[in-house]
Order: sequence, then C-alpha cells, then structure tokens
Amino acid sequence: MANKVQVPTRNSALIAMIADEDTITGFLLAGVGNVDLRRKTNYLIVDSKTTVKQIEEAFKEFTTREDIAIVMISQYVANMIRFLVDSYNKPVPAILEIPSKDHPYDPTHDSVLSRVKYLFSAESVASGKR
Amino acid sequence: MGEEEERSNLEIGSDQDQEEEKGEHQVVKFLDSVDSYLTLFESLSTTLRQGYLELASARQSMGASRINSALFDLKYHCAATSLQVMQEDVKEPDFNLCKWVSPDNNKSCSEEAKFDQDGLSERKSSNSQLRYRGTSEIQEKILESNGSTAAVEDQIQQERSKSLSMFGKLVSPKLRDAQLSFETALDILIEIANMRSSLLSAYDQVRKDMESTQG
Repeated sequence: MANKVQVPTRNSALIAMIADEDTITGFLLAGVGNVDLRRKTNYLIVDSKTTVKQIEEAFKEFTTREDIAIVMISQYVANMIRFLVDSYNKPVPAILEIPSKDHPYDPTHDSVLSRVKYLFSAESVASGKR
Repeated sequence: MGEEEERSNLEIGSDQDQEEEKGEHQVVKFLDSVDSYLTLFESLSTTLRQGYLELASARQSMGASRINSALFDLKYHCAATSLQVMQEDVKEPDFNLCKWVSPDNNKSCSEEAKFDQDGLSERKSSNSQLRYRGTSEIQEKILESNGSTAAVEDQIQQERSKSLSMFGKLVSPKLRDAQLSFETALDILIEIANMRSSLLSAYDQVRKDMESTQG
C-alpha cells in the first residue's frame, strides 16, 4: 500500500477531435484548439468532402501522438472507420465516441460497450459459473 | 476426527464465500460503471444539444459568414485547456482538466478549474448567486481574504475572450452561452473518460475472475 504512489505521466496533454464543423467550433471556443510550430492542428473537420482515408490517417496520427491523451470522435465518423476504432485498445489516448448535431449517441455502436457486452450475454455468465 | 473434518470443511466454505463475495463486488462495480457511463452520455447529449442550439442562434444573429471554420486561428498557439494524466495503474489512467491555463500563466490548474466550476454553477443559478452575496458573510470574507481569486477570474475571462475573438470582437451573447455549454460538455467528457477507465478495469477484473473459476 505504501508503495502505491501516483505519478503524473503527462502534465499538459491535449484533447484531439475528429468531428463535424459545429462540434469542432464549440470545443475550440472551450479552448482545446492547439496549433503547433509545423501548423499542425489537433482536430480534423469532417464534411461531405472528407474521405475515409483522411479520417483513418487522422485517427492513426492522433492515437500515436505522445502529447494527446483523449481523442474525441463523432460516433457517425467512428462508424466509418469502425474496424480501426474497435481494434484500438490502449488506455491512453482514450477514444471517446460523442454524439453530433444530426446523429444522436447510440450505445450499441460504442466500442467500449461492445467490448464489455460479452459479460451481459446470459450464455457467457452461465458458462462461467459452471 | 469428525470434528476436525467439520472444521476444515467450514474453513473451506468460508474461503469460498469470501471469494464469491469478492467476485460479486467486482460484478457490482462493473455494472455500476456501465450505468454511470450511460448516464453521463445522456447528460453529455443534453449539454451538447444545448450548445448546438446556442451556436445556431449565434450564427443566425451574426450571419453564417462570421461563424465559419475559415475563421479558425491557424497561427501557432497552445491549447488554453489541457489535461493532466495521472497513471497509478497502467490500465486505469486518471484524467484531470486544466481549464484556461495559458502557457504564460503559472497559477495551479486545479485552483483555476475549481474556481471555474464555481463560476459555471453561479451562472446556472443566478438566484442562488444573489442569495449567496446577500446573506453569506463567510463567503464574502473568504473572497476578500483570497485576493488572488479575482486575478484568476480576470485571467479566465481574458482567455475566454481570446478564444471568442477568432469570430470578431463583438460577438453575439448566444456565442458566449455556447462557449459555456461546450465547457460544461468538456467537464462531462472528462468524467466519461475517467468512468471509461474504471469500467474497462472492472471488466478486466471480472473476466479474470471468470477465467480463474473456469480453469
């Protein structure tokens, strides 16, 4: 117990966003926007012209950057790259699927809940008890 | 001989009971986390909906050309709101939000976040704010004694204005409301991130328990 010491690992980590224009605008107003010396932003605005490849690249970039602790992604955008989002299982950066203006939050698509829903299945619990 | 057997059987039984109790506790913790996770998402949806509505109102009063992604600040700047990540357990990180802390500002982020939360709660209930000011002498004394809080509030207001200034100096009050709604949404998001960590940690524990009983 005495050995348990909380170690701050990152002092000023960023929140990255992959979302529609309104969501990005709102969170930029809340002060999360960051532009580095190479003019790289910590967000990607997804509109009708954005390709799945661009979203994939942004997701990969944000999840591998050392200075990012949370990646917020609109759930409808996450659905476009579901295979990538579901296969991601690192604790940091944490992936959060958020609702957007035109797409309400659907718990059945959430990657975290899909991962843990195994325990809600009656068969799995029954086989565990046996 | 018979007594000894009985005693050992009782001991084995109590050990099993303890293990079962521990397992049940883990399952309850896991289910609680799932429940809180879903509740937080409902609250996030409500707050974001409010934010989108205020943003749309601001856009209607200011014009679509004045609230546009083309006006985003693309010059080099650091995020005014960032995170502090504490990792006691590798699998269960703890996220803390540091609001409106510009790189030049040396004040502790926890103090600012706390003060900012007070500000938000005051905004939500203006009636209670008046009641506090009218009756609570203790609170006034605390505010007087802690002169730095005023400076912190100034700093926060400056940072908020700086963030709004990408859409011009004179902005619609609705845009300020949207800013506060998205700030609240950010608070909820951090709670969700922490709940996600504890949910996944509880899930791992329950799964391990199940595998050990199966094995």
